[in-house]
Amino acid sequence: MSARKATKKFTRRRFLTTALAAGIGGPVLARTIPPFGTPSRADAADNILHFGQSEGDLGTADPHYAAGTQDRALVDMIFNGLLRFKPGDGSAFEPDLAVDFPKPTVVAGKQVWTFKLRKGVMWHPSDKVPAYEMTSEDVVYSLQKAADKARSAYSALYTGMTFQALDPTTVGIVLDSPLSPNLFYPLVTNYAGGFIVSKRAVEAYGLDGVKTHPVGTGPFILRRYSPKERMELAPNPQYFRGRPKLEGVDYRYMADGFSRELGLRGGQLDGINGQQDEAWVGKMQAVPKLKVDIFGVGESTVLYFNQTVRQLSRKEVRQAIAYTLNRDEFLGLIGKKVGQKIYAPLAPFTIGALTENEVVAKGLDYKTNLEKAKSLLAEAGVAGGFSLDLVTSELNIYKVHYESMQAQLAKVGIQIRLRVVDHPSYHALIRKDTNPIVIYVAFRPTAEIYLRSFYHSASAVVSGAHPDTNFAHYSAIDDLIDKARVETVAAKQVEMWKEAQVKILQDMAAYPVSYANQVYARSTGVDYGHPLKSVLALYPGIDETTRVQRG
Amino acid sequence: MIRYVLSRLLFALPIFLGVITIVFVIVRILPGDPAQAALGDYASPDAVAALRQRLGLDRPIPLQYGGYVAGLVRGDLGKSLITGAPVRDEIVHNLPYTLQLTLLALIIGTLAGVPVGVMNALTRNRLPDSIGRVVSLFGLSVPAYYLGILLILLFAIELRLLPAVGAGDLTSPGDALRHLILPAATLGLVMAAAVARFTRSTVLNTLGQDFVRTARAKGLQPRVVTIRHTLRAALIPIVSLAGLWSIGLIGDSVTTEIVFARPGLGSMMVGAMLQRDYTSLQSVMVVYTAFVVLINLATDLAYGFIDPRIRY
Repeated sequence: MSARKATKKFTRRRFLTTALAAGIGGPVLARTIPPFGTPSRADAADNILHFGQSEGDLGTADPHYAAGTQDRALVDMIFNGLLRFKPGDGSAFEPDLAVDFPKPTVVAGKQVWTFKLRKGVMWHPSDKVPAYEMTSEDVVYSLQKAADKARSAYSALYTGMTFQALDPTTVGIVLDSPLSPNLFYPLVTNYAGGFIVSKRAVEAYGLDGVKTHPVGTGPFILRRYSPKERMELAPNPQYFRGRPKLEGVDYRYMADGFSRELGLRGGQLDGINGQQDEAWVGKMQAVPKLKVDIFGVGESTVLYFNQTVRQLSRKEVRQAIAYTLNRDEFLGLIGKKVGQKIYAPLAPFTIGALTENEVVAKGLDYKTNLEKAKSLLAEAGVAGGFSLDLVTSELNIYKVHYESMQAQLAKVGIQIRLRVVDHPSYHALIRKDTNPIVIYVAFRPTAEIYLRSFYHSASAVVSGAHPDTNFAHYSAIDDLIDKARVETVAAKQVEMWKEAQVKILQDMAAYPVSYANQVYARSTGVDYGHPLKSVLALYPGIDETTRVQRG
Repeated sequence: MIRYVLSRLLFALPIFLGVITIVFVIVRILPGDPAQAALGDYASPDAVAALRQRLGLDRPIPLQYGGYVAGLVRGDLGKSLITGAPVRDEIVHNLPYTLQLTLLALIIGTLAGVPVGVMNALTRNRLPDSIGRVVSLFGLSVPAYYLGILLILLFAIELRLLPAVGAGDLTSPGDALRHLILPAATLGLVMAAAVARFTRSTVLNTLGQDFVRTARAKGLQPRVVTIRHTLRAALIPIVSLAGLWSIGLIGDSVTTEIVFARPGLGSMMVGAMLQRDYTSLQSVMVVYTAFVVLINLATDLAYGFIDPRIRY
């Protein structure tokens, strides 16, 4: 038998035999599976919290760039600030890495805030940098990084600030323009640029490296990152508030909401990011041994009218639109369990926000009145209405609001032609002034940031000096915003912010619609360790006090 | 045969280049900015501009294209624009999950589909055939993601036999396999339906051939006639279908990975698309293209093994 022939015969048979073996091998392999029963559920002795977060992957673990919900929650477990929001209550501050609240002094005409740091706070050990004690050098480095536009997304908030290490446990922050505690505290709190990063770790890993190698001082330490899958966190035994009660956090990236729900109902997950939808809340509340948490901070949905668009340049037209719209119809989209109607440009609970009563008392709530709307349109010379082309994001929260607005405005002859685009495209297009009416869902931590980014002329999209999110191209309250920023008497500052909001509503630059809270679900065995009122990290808050009990 | 394989691979090069170019152009035509997506809507415009510069997105597009292709030639797939991690590492991490999913689905689809198809053909127009045809029609009509949800509800939520989501621990074969069963069954059962219908018609066609009649006339046992003569002759079109369906499996694995919250190339691709992570998206597409080319090649080579008359 020739070699060629032998090979040919052997190979063909081998192929067919292999195919057969695969058929037999499959069931044999399946026998290696552990016995079925309860293995798909988290083990009763497993003291690791399994948490399903929205989004398919990590964006960044560099807290000075963290913007997505999945990233804000992650860095909250790993890093600290000089101050922190009280766990579960974003309206109260307390010292974190600082031993006490600082008191401002004026030195050479400049406002100085001096922080005394806790002693003995250790950085997490990492594969490049062993654990070491945090000093003022780290804090100054971190704040300088937060203020540097090449190393931080939040640099604009730290303009006009210099940072000094006065001694190893004392940090001085010098402000060119004074700020009230209302505006200063959020900048040094465990949020955005206020998170303190390790100087040695950032230098060792580089800016790209720290995106996946976070080194903080917080209750949990990075154990392992599996791209598109999970972030495994270990408890920090040296945490200055004590060792966490959990043996770790299994932080899963799960973009699909239904998959998260199934994971929770199947017992594989202990907590999940839920859906801002009343029907979903009701459904989950009916499931035994599950609990739904609804808490702030939520996001405000607001309509912005582009005043550079011919049809919307007249105040009467914008007011007519406001009188046509019905907040109850909008609220019905998310439900009363999840959201509430809003009447002021600033979100409820923001320091300086107008209350509903204040808005109503000034007659600026624009209660639905179709007759008045029609007469205002007639007054503006567009009695028959007009048509507008708009794009909407494919995200449900945007799409349903645009569709509802479309249906409501049709009642007075305003025809909206909608085009659906994906979410990143939506953000890109509205920043190019594509939409005459922009629906925007957002949270901003202070009145100053909210008013400046949405209503200051410098923030006007396309045409502003620093284009941001002023979709209305509004410019009537620049002076008030600028004056309020440097007002150090809190009461006066609040008055200015309220005055600015009244002006916005009088001019109908924007129509506040609703406020949607965060919705999370958990098994009843999970105790986050604090009541849930509002959390700026946009998740329930997992810290050293969090516990999980199964069975 | 080696020359044939090499020439096929050589012809694949223009396909790779074409795919890379098309994906490169399309992702840049789409509105949306990776820097804005990475930093969120709260970031200052200056910070967004600084990140664009750092990522090289402010460079002219032809330069970006040249740089990417040059990197590919060197075997460098670049870095994720979002996480900064090497894309090669992410692909190496995700690839085993997609491979194990599609391979097990292929095995399930073939092993379930071929016997059912043969049985249907042998019992033509009788009850087993009718049942098999209805079941396979149902399988073809159900989208994979929907079937996946049904399987999760039954086996993970109601019966609590298998995990609903995740991929388990790859270092523990038992755990990984338990997590693999439902997603692989989702893909495999849909494939089995197609394979069963195709096998039925192919075997029916072969049963009418002269050589089958001759085999029967020789007095061979029905089992031998079916397996050695009929099925073997019908295998070539079945293998063609399995090859084509394998390519489809890779596509379906994207939605299945999302439904079962499994890591994998599909999850990676969807994430990259949403985050406008151009580098990752381009590289994943290169890997998918490689899959298609290699599966087609493997299918062609399989013909030679099945039918000795075919030579390369």
